Amino acid sequence: MAGATWLAALLFLPAVGSPLLAHPAFGRFSFASRAVLAAGVGAAFLSFAMTLLALADVRWGVALVATVAALLAWGSRAFLRGEAQTAAPEPVRRDTAERFAAAVASIAVLAALAATLGGAATSVDLVFFWGAKAQQFAAARGVDTEFLSDAAHQYMHPYYPPLVSNLFAFATMAAGRFVWTCAALTFPLGLGALAIGLPGVLRGMVPARAAAATSALIVATLACIGSQADVAGNADMPLLLFETLAMALLLRPDSARASGDLLAGILFAAAASAKVEGLPFVLAATALALVLRGGLPVERGKAALRLLAPTALSLGAWFAFGASHKLFYEYSEYGRFFDIHAEHGPGIAAEILRALASTGRGLPYLIPLLCLIGAGRRGRMAALPLGTAAALAVFIVFTYLHLTGDPAQWISWSAARVFAPIPVLFTLAAACPRLARRAPEPGPGKA
Amino acid sequence: MLRLRSTAAPVLLALLGSALLAALALWHVPWKQGFVRPRTLYDHSSARALAPAYALLTAAALGIPQGASVVVRAQPPDATMETWYHRFAVALLPGRRVLPSAFYLGFTAPELWQEAEYLVVVGPRPSPEPGQLLFETPDGTVWLRAR
Repeated sequence: MAGATWLAALLFLPAVGSPLLAHPAFGRFSFASRAVLAAGVGAAFLSFAMTLLALADVRWGVALVATVAALLAWGSRAFLRGEAQTAAPEPVRRDTAERFAAAVASIAVLAALAATLGGAATSVDLVFFWGAKAQQFAAARGVDTEFLSDAAHQYMHPYYPPLVSNLFAFATMAAGRFVWTCAALTFPLGLGALAIGLPGVLRGMVPARAAAATSALIVATLACIGSQADVAGNADMPLLLFETLAMALLLRPDSARASGDLLAGILFAAAASAKVEGLPFVLAATALALVLRGGLPVERGKAALRLLAPTALSLGAWFAFGASHKLFYEYSEYGRFFDIHAEHGPGIAAEILRALASTGRGLPYLIPLLCLIGAGRRGRMAALPLGTAAALAVFIVFTYLHLTGDPAQWISWSAARVFAPIPVLFTLAAACPRLARRAPEPGPGKA
Repeated sequence: MLRLRSTAAPVLLALLGSALLAALALWHVPWKQGFVRPRTLYDHSSARALAPAYALLTAAALGIPQGASVVVRAQPPDATMETWYHRFAVALLPGRRVLPSAFYLGFTAPELWQEAEYLVVVGPRPSPEPGQLLFETPDGTVWLRAR
């Protein structure tokens, strides 16, 4: 019973985000996509509400947290004033390719579920810190500063962004206890959400068949990496869900409007609040999107605000909490920002390749790359996912270069997971519409 | 006049790639165990070496009272494993004071944990017996320590 309630609390997330997604400006998305986007928005607002309440020293309660989060979602509609209603997508009859893609995505989700339930996909980080923190936060009805500041608990990284611990704590408060199996099931659950929601988001960019195939490839890639790199129960799947949806939103031709930017911005906030590497993803994707769109400086400024303000507020509240309790002031631990050990460079490159090659024989990284190459020259918007992938890769290598000792072991258990967004970004780039070529002018006799 | 180029090839590539990767994901599922639920979440993961500690500590949570102090040791002693066991115990024994016998892969000073009321030993039964045996599982033993 506790397990069912624990999971039901997370399935409640679409309801938390629905005050925003119910706005008529989002009518252009299918019901399934809207529900999944609402879940992402709900996760962002729920975590933000919990952080704000902790900052204000107000004890968490399930009803209080959910109400504050839903009110924040409702309040964010103010940024959509003047946004016109959009038409619902045309109902489409699935062709054979789409049905095949849906079947493949379903099989991939079921494989992730079976691997998780079979004890073959769970991350030790679930027990080491994500779950341990969540359980303690739920018991304390807030972010337990005494627990986090204990010298014996520093391995839990007190500064780590709070979204996953907050969401797990919310579910724990609802269920009355932490349920480890249910926390691990967030991997197939997140993957299932992506399989349901992504095709509808991509349909704004490419035809239905390409949207279905692209989604299937992303879901299968993540099922493969997630099962073999043991991500069940840690923050990688939520991060991948938020990043993938946000990037797909930005690639739509209709993204450059208030509703598109705000939605992507809130999903960015969720990503940056899920894992440290979410922040460089957000900064790179926003900068590239603004450059690629062009437009007047005023328009770009407004877009930048909508894309970045949710992340700034979310992380701002978290660091304000850390600073006000003298817990943390920055992302730390691996040395000062420019203290890098370049002598480890060649070893790091070799170790990364080894780690990726040992995950599904490297195929989850290689196949999306081959699809990108096989897709030929893409339109200019492909620079958005590809540039973000490059920035993320540089950030990860830069992070590995900070370790004083040999980072080989660290890379061996982290690289497969932290590089997982890159094949997703390759797949999205491959799906970007190709540059149209000039068709031959009709001859005099063909006009 | 511009026209859209064919999307058939990229779609076909994506479908083939996704099918291959879904098959690879299925291949990773531990089918050999049948549809029997494993004892722990880690039985077939890369952290399977920690599965006995997970199972033992989950069982110990039912026998060690809230507020009690507890230390988890490996038999034979092993600083690396005891570092991980300590972390597991903090999570799986909430409400207890978990004292570290090892930290960041090195043993701690015994004074840090010697006062622990309960001792969880992952592995064979220790000799001499460190106190009153509360229960034993194939993964190890739980003791109320002699004081």
